[in-house]
Amino acid sequence: MPHAPLIRLENVTLSRGGRVVLDDISLDITERRVGLIGTNGSGKSSLVRLLNGLLSAEKGRVTVHGLDAKEQAGDLPRKVGFIFQNPDHQIIFPTVAEEIAFSLEQAGLPRREAAREAVPALARFQRVHWAERPVHALSEGEKQFLCIIAVLVMTPSVLILDEPFSSLDLPTRRRLETLVAGLEQQVILVAHELDAFARYERVIWLHEGQVRGDGPPAAIIPAYRAFAEGLT
Amino acid sequence: MISLYLAQRTWLHGVPAGWKLLALALLSLIAAPLDSLPVMAGLLAAVLLLYASLGKAALAQIALLRPLWPLFAILLAFHWWNGDVAAGLVVLARILAMVLLANAVTMTTRMDAMMDAVEPLLAPLAWFGGSPRAVALAVAMMIRFVPLLFALWEALNESWRARTGKRGGWRLLAPFCIQTLRLSHHTAEALAARGGAPRGTRR
Repeated sequence: MPHAPLIRLENVTLSRGGRVVLDDISLDITERRVGLIGTNGSGKSSLVRLLNGLLSAEKGRVTVHGLDAKEQAGDLPRKVGFIFQNPDHQIIFPTVAEEIAFSLEQAGLPRREAAREAVPALARFQRVHWAERPVHALSEGEKQFLCIIAVLVMTPSVLILDEPFSSLDLPTRRRLETLVAGLEQQVILVAHELDAFARYERVIWLHEGQVRGDGPPAAIIPAYRAFAEGLT
Repeated sequence: MISLYLAQRTWLHGVPAGWKLLALALLSLIAAPLDSLPVMAGLLAAVLLLYASLGKAALAQIALLRPLWPLFAILLAFHWWNGDVAAGLVVLARILAMVLLANAVTMTTRMDAMMDAVEPLLAPLAWFGGSPRAVALAVAMMIRFVPLLFALWEALNESWRARTGKRGGWRLLAPFCIQTLRLSHHTAEALAARGGAPRGTRR
């Protein structure tokens, strides 16, 4: 790998809708499994959107694996895969094979080759039998899995998951967690299911646009839990 | 849920998209000037046989025509008022046959195959700075989102009924539009996250 798996935010400030959502944040992220927690509106979703070029910082600088998020925003989607909360918002094509082919094309394959390669790509995830299925016929968990496959075939070096488990039942969630745990990519997971971070190396707790806690899950999660209980 | 594509493979899936579209265009051209009731009834019967040959799932798709019944009723009433019920039946049979035929193509053709067949016709767009790929993407997304929009409408109707005990009907239109815009916003963001809409005509 030409660059260390480094994500760096330097004095980043971001406002949305007239409200400061990230307030002078600086972070160096080199760990391979990183969790992002915080109450609703704490800035988690905004922070991860900076890493994929969906949002651009007003002040400060963001670099992701050697790419400047502002100067090289166009190259970010191939490097940083993004999984959203609702797979129905993410799947663009009517059938599974087309959805995968689209990703392959975005990754630079000519169109016909992308269409041909979709089935072997599904085979790598033991899902060849999905190729001709209409996407709406998949279950919620299967749709989320498809979204992850569609992003992974672009061979990103970072995978961002923004509350991907919200509408999944526990067994499906566990299956996806196991899948994510086995990936070689650097993973940044935003989630409210705190047990999902048990094996993560680092958890960053955001509060009102600032870092309130940062460290191993064993230290940060109990503190966050106590804080959240105190709010009720 | 209503979908426009049949997951179960049928013999019609195997026919190249270009041939299906050509056959559809030719049949439309031939059927347009014909006004013999037996011929039109025969055509409609042939189309229904085609559906039967595609299996149960295809036959179930005929239910998609339900929203058209009021239109058919108005057409028939108009012809009856003009004193020519037979002509009304011809028009009705022709519309039914053509809509069902077009649907048979949609439900047995993958979007990329369809677009490969249609894209050469869209090529002149490039002369005016337009992108045939963008049109292809838009059509694919439309097919993909039709079942989703039906589901969205159903969800709104359910929430309405849960609180009022009545069907929402036209009152759901405004919230439906707002939700649709929200949906399009999310989808645009997801498309951008994967590098945005493809440009050009790279093959």
